[in-house]
Amino acid sequence: MFFSAIFDIGVVALRILLPVYAIIIVYQCYAAMRRRRRPETPLVTLVNPQTGLKLPVLFWENSIGRSRSSDIVVDDPTVSRSHCVLLRRSDGWFITDTGSKSGTYVNGEKIEERTQLLIDDVIGVGNSEFEFKRGEEYHERLDSSWFFRKVNNKPAIKSWKLMLMITLFHFFMCVEAMFWNDATNPFSPLVLFAALAGVEWAFFFVSSYILRRVNFELEALALFLTGTGVMLLVRQVERSAYVQLIAAAVGMILFCVIIKFIQNPDKVNKLRFPMMIVAVGLLLTSVIFGKTTGGAANWIYIGSISIQPSELVKVIYIFIGSSALDKLQTKKNLLEFIVFSIVCVGLLALMGDFGTALIFFMTFLLIAFMRSGDFKTIILAVAAAVFGATIILRFKPYVANRFKAWRHVWDYAQDQGYQQVHVLTFIASGGLFGVGIGNGFLKQVAASESDLVFGLVSEEMGIIVAITLALAVALLVVYARAITTRSRSTFYSISACCAAGLLVVQLALNIFGATDILPLTGVTFPFISSGGSSIISCWGLLAFVKAADERTYSMKR
Amino acid sequence: MKRVLRRSVLIFIITIAFIGGMCFFAFELLTNAEDWANQPYNAHIVGSGGLAQAGIIYDRNGEILAQTIDEKRVYNDNESVRKGLLHVVGDNSLNISTAIQSRYRSQLTGYSLMWGLNMPQSLRVSHDMKLTVDAKTCAVAYDMLTNYDKKGACVVYNYKTGEVICSVSTYAYDPGAPPEITEENESEYDGVYVDNVLSSTYTPGSIFKIVTAAAAIENIPDIYERTWNCTGSEEIGGSAVTCVSAHGELTFKEALAHSCNIVFAELAVELGSDKMTAEAEKVGINKSFSVDGLKTASGSYDVSNANTNQLAWSGIGQYTDTVNPMQMAVICGAIANGGTPVEPTLIKSSTNELLKSLNLTSNKSGKELFSPDTASKLDELMRYTITGYYGDDLFGDLKVCAKTGTAEIGNGKDPNAWMVGYSQDEDCPLAFACVVEDSGFGIEYAGPVAEAAMKQAAQCIRDQKN
Repeated sequence: MFFSAIFDIGVVALRILLPVYAIIIVYQCYAAMRRRRRPETPLVTLVNPQTGLKLPVLFWENSIGRSRSSDIVVDDPTVSRSHCVLLRRSDGWFITDTGSKSGTYVNGEKIEERTQLLIDDVIGVGNSEFEFKRGEEYHERLDSSWFFRKVNNKPAIKSWKLMLMITLFHFFMCVEAMFWNDATNPFSPLVLFAALAGVEWAFFFVSSYILRRVNFELEALALFLTGTGVMLLVRQVERSAYVQLIAAAVGMILFCVIIKFIQNPDKVNKLRFPMMIVAVGLLLTSVIFGKTTGGAANWIYIGSISIQPSELVKVIYIFIGSSALDKLQTKKNLLEFIVFSIVCVGLLALMGDFGTALIFFMTFLLIAFMRSGDFKTIILAVAAAVFGATIILRFKPYVANRFKAWRHVWDYAQDQGYQQVHVLTFIASGGLFGVGIGNGFLKQVAASESDLVFGLVSEEMGIIVAITLALAVALLVVYARAITTRSRSTFYSISACCAAGLLVVQLALNIFGATDILPLTGVTFPFISSGGSSIISCWGLLAFVKAADERTYSMKR
Repeated sequence: MKRVLRRSVLIFIITIAFIGGMCFFAFELLTNAEDWANQPYNAHIVGSGGLAQAGIIYDRNGEILAQTIDEKRVYNDNESVRKGLLHVVGDNSLNISTAIQSRYRSQLTGYSLMWGLNMPQSLRVSHDMKLTVDAKTCAVAYDMLTNYDKKGACVVYNYKTGEVICSVSTYAYDPGAPPEITEENESEYDGVYVDNVLSSTYTPGSIFKIVTAAAAIENIPDIYERTWNCTGSEEIGGSAVTCVSAHGELTFKEALAHSCNIVFAELAVELGSDKMTAEAEKVGINKSFSVDGLKTASGSYDVSNANTNQLAWSGIGQYTDTVNPMQMAVICGAIANGGTPVEPTLIKSSTNELLKSLNLTSNKSGKELFSPDTASKLDELMRYTITGYYGDDLFGDLKVCAKTGTAEIGNGKDPNAWMVGYSQDEDCPLAFACVVEDSGFGIEYAGPVAEAAMKQAAQCIRDQKN
């Protein structure tokens, strides 16, 4: 009796420790992202020889024009609102005219195409002239984004220390899983933990010593989430834990491939059309060959492997939606993208995968707004979507049937509300610190490790850990937005913000669907939910956030 | 680039909406967590893994009614106690929703919002509860009731303190081994999950004459001067109202003691539906009473569509009248108490939080049901029913005031036998209500159960005082 009490105190202490530890890890990841920035100095300076006015050029891509929202505002009536774009590429600085009325001149010659600039060249726009000078010519202090401001001088935590913390967290999860109430297979979590730690550290070494990346915080955060999801599975369906780990490793490879693939923001533009065809092709395959699972025909089976093509299309969709600044200014028309989006959302609705369709639609709004800044487009799109939804409900009333338990789950506790009421009950049973890994009962409910994973985490690890994991994903938006102006092209800015936005929309649909705040649509919790295609796509999306950091492509010396 | 940065605000808005949603969820969790957790399918609580964590339930004398030994819920050793208190204590299946183990599960299992249900066995703070019931009295009442092999209910409560001494409902089963109810044994367990004391209503029959008498006392000034001549049958409103036998010449007092249908039927018609309805409302026939916050089933007196004959029958507790046993005990308690009842309670002691949340820190008086004058006149009438008709030794040395009832229910079933009343004794102020379905005369079936329960309850209370 005395011994068992001592042992129980240890188990409880571990359960209380984990939430605190999870908060520390997430905090450390984001704290590290804020540090080690290059100082806030202009890249080059434009000097007006007549007035002596010095204009700092802060970004890799800068719009020049009369419009007050231009990066470099030229107060001259002969200059167009969006006159030209000054951009930096790996092989130097360039200037491109974006359909101005009076044209753009370099050293007195009118330019037709993208033209390289050298130091001391003279740029002519309208009646104004600027000399192209080095950044050091500008002496005033510049403000930086609040995310990077007021960071004290303590150096950021070393990446390997962060990795050690994360591995230790997963080890604690492993210990908890070993001492589960069932008391069978006590050592199987250890095997899984060893495999997980192997994958995590292998990725870390590849990233720092082969790819020679300067920073690892973003990957560390994703590894923390991924590993937590994998360890959670060991006491649900052990086989899926290994499937999840393998898929995560594939996701990490995809992560590296995508970063390499989008290295040149100009080349990317040519790949847009082929990628569209691939995306539509993938969706069509699932419409034609898809097997219906849980009301949505979004799975296709190749032998014993099942994949969800719509998950991979998310990555392509972000890729297609983003664009470099000069292309944005010359081609303001969204038509092509709108048509592509309608096709995607339509095909998803046809599969009955309304959750993913909604994610695509929200992402469409984000991309369309970031590209055009046009509220009219947004309002029109929302109106069209509401109209479309009404039509669907009018002619296919069984669709509404799927959602009739929404906000009334306790009245449908035996059928449509079954999953949600179990989630709520077991979240409440878990309290702040959870009942311990493997000791929950939500795992007996279908889809508990994917659609209902928020409830599973809450029950077994406590509501604090569940909310911390959710915030860790949601905060990606803050990071993506903070690095927006430090990206090498608007292509990365837009794709990073929209990829982070997509993850948050998906997160919201997952959590709120499981807890009956929104209808249950069956989407996954990014990085945590079990599901191979889902984890691969999350890592793929994360690549865009990583690519938006200008340091990603500069190698460690 | 600046433009793109500005437009990315839309993503912030979505994120803020997400965080708003999380706050909403947190709010819902804080307010509803206990309800969410306390579900019959929650395997953390129910089944062998559930009540296994609950504290001990004692009766008023410290007798253990339910406890956990080696993770198994074990009930009292005595079978009659187990079955008699099934509906008060509850069982492992938690099918009896009004029982203590169902209602105070989270209290017993130590659920808290912060810790959820996650504490290991050796560290869990489970709470014990002490009930007001007396195991022995309940066992006696159960044995009496179950002898008839009929459904029924018997409740005894202290009308000064509100403590329920005895609450028994039949049919019952052994809580240690809840039966698997199949199509074959369905009839044997008909309504077994319902606590008849709290949740069933029955046709009252003659016990309703208490209400009619109260209306007559308050509305007919010369009621005590009148006499009636009962010939055994009388045509009222086109059809006959009958008595068991011809009672001959009767005063008001004798009419109640002999339970003359014709007198009270005539009184009901004379008073009219408005005054009868007003009295029934005042006495609380149409409302439910609260037992530790749980509502009893409410009775019914509705003569809005009754013709004269039906009105006559309604005055003697037939027609569509229904009452609930606990309700009748409270009404009798109110008469004993000078017109105002004390709210019954089943909980003697528990943690302070629970007592506070149930507002049980002091006796709660209910709304006045009778004026003190009416109460004292009814007291006299009901006392005479025992002394002048049944004989004062019926309840031993207890000075009991009571009324019996034999409610015809038709459908080829025998009548419901009723007996309700209270003892006047200062040292054991007990009110009771007892009903046996499908049996016969009130005094013949309900009488012995009430007598046994009252005697045992009185002994229990007197032993405690000494």
